Amino acid sequence: MISPIILYAMIALGAVGVLLALPRAKASFALPGFLIGATAGGIVIAALGSKALADGGNLPNMYFYVFGFVALAAALRVVTHPKPVYSALYFILTILATCGLFLILSAEFMAFALVIIYAGAILITYLFVIMLATQAPTEEMVENQPAFDRVAREPVLATVSGFLMLAVLSTLLAQGVPTLKTPPAPESDALLAELPLRIERSLRERNTLGEEGGILPTESLAREVMQDGSAGQYIIDVANRTVTVQVDAEGGARRVVSWPEDLALTNTEGVGYELIKAHPGAIEIAGVILLMAMLGAVVLARKQMQIDEDAKRAQAQGLAGGEGAAS
Amino acid sequence: MIATLAQAGFPEAMSGLTLYHYLFISAVMFVLGLIGFVTRRNLIVMFLCTEMMFQASGIALVAFSRFYLEYTGQVFVIFVLTVAAAEAAMALALVVLLFRRNESLDGSVWSLLKG
Repeated sequence: MISPIILYAMIALGAVGVLLALPRAKASFALPGFLIGATAGGIVIAALGSKALADGGNLPNMYFYVFGFVALAAALRVVTHPKPVYSALYFILTILATCGLFLILSAEFMAFALVIIYAGAILITYLFVIMLATQAPTEEMVENQPAFDRVAREPVLATVSGFLMLAVLSTLLAQGVPTLKTPPAPESDALLAELPLRIERSLRERNTLGEEGGILPTESLAREVMQDGSAGQYIIDVANRTVTVQVDAEGGARRVVSWPEDLALTNTEGVGYELIKAHPGAIEIAGVILLMAMLGAVVLARKQMQIDEDAKRAQAQGLAGGEGAAS
Repeated sequence: MIATLAQAGFPEAMSGLTLYHYLFISAVMFVLGLIGFVTRRNLIVMFLCTEMMFQASGIALVAFSRFYLEYTGQVFVIFVLTVAAAEAAMALALVVLLFRRNESLDGSVWSLLKG
């Protein structure tokens, strides 16, 4: 962990910056507040970097600092920008920077899912609602935002308690955290051995591409023969990275083929396999939650429509009645 | 267990990084979201800030997933995404409903709900 004095001083400085940057009634200190907050964050991140250097590691990856800084700066703007549309756009920037962090962590699937779902779907919905639910601008409001957007509620109390929590969190998180491990290859192999068809597909692809070590279209992975003649497990030797291949479909001749050297599970395959193997119930429940949310949104919107139609009908009847009385 | 960028030709991708770096980014983002949720009075921005807290928890989950070389953390980010999508759909429908009734996005207008 970096020196606690630097950490706490910079957290306090960051609190001052956020406090200044929050929207307030009269003068706006957004720019100086943003600069102070950015300086504090930059010093902490630089201290983390120099600490890693002093520990004998290489200088940490530059992209981590760039993405981390962009994510936090955009997050600050989301919280402090008086216009909701700009808040939403800055949030998209936060998400994109987070995706960069995920790529450094080699979580490619999550990074792209985040861009598609968060930046592509959820934030567009937010933008729609922001534009739908905005008061029609009156003469004096063309320049000004509504008061509830311009003035923050309880800024001092919220900032102080929030950054107090950050100080405690960052102290606790720092206790005994070693560097990230390099992934061991054998575990990937053990996972691959549970996916025999993946190995078979890879071997077939090698044959199609004309590379060494593939299998012919007529060949397939061999299974153990049980005592009653039925087929058992696929014969896979994890330690030597070999599989047994049946030369023709009728059985008979078999030969041993080794896996391609570069065969490894991609991130997407790993996440998908873990999702289906370890959390099959949770993914069903997630589907139900999404369905319920969709139904709920439809019901909420639908009820309002009926009220509108009733009001219109009543208005039309009132008009008709009025005309009838006048004639 | 996790196919690394190192295998794809980025050998220096993880050099010198510690779990703490990611957890610190995550903590700062969470606290910023929390401050935003408490201080902003615009209903839509308040919900945006909760999404930012989800995002921060996602960073922590993926970092732990990478640290323990397990996919479970990343799988949980999928569930976080699910909850975030469901929450966005419901909350925004409610916000539109409240706006039609009161012609205002000010959260404190609804202080009557305190009872």
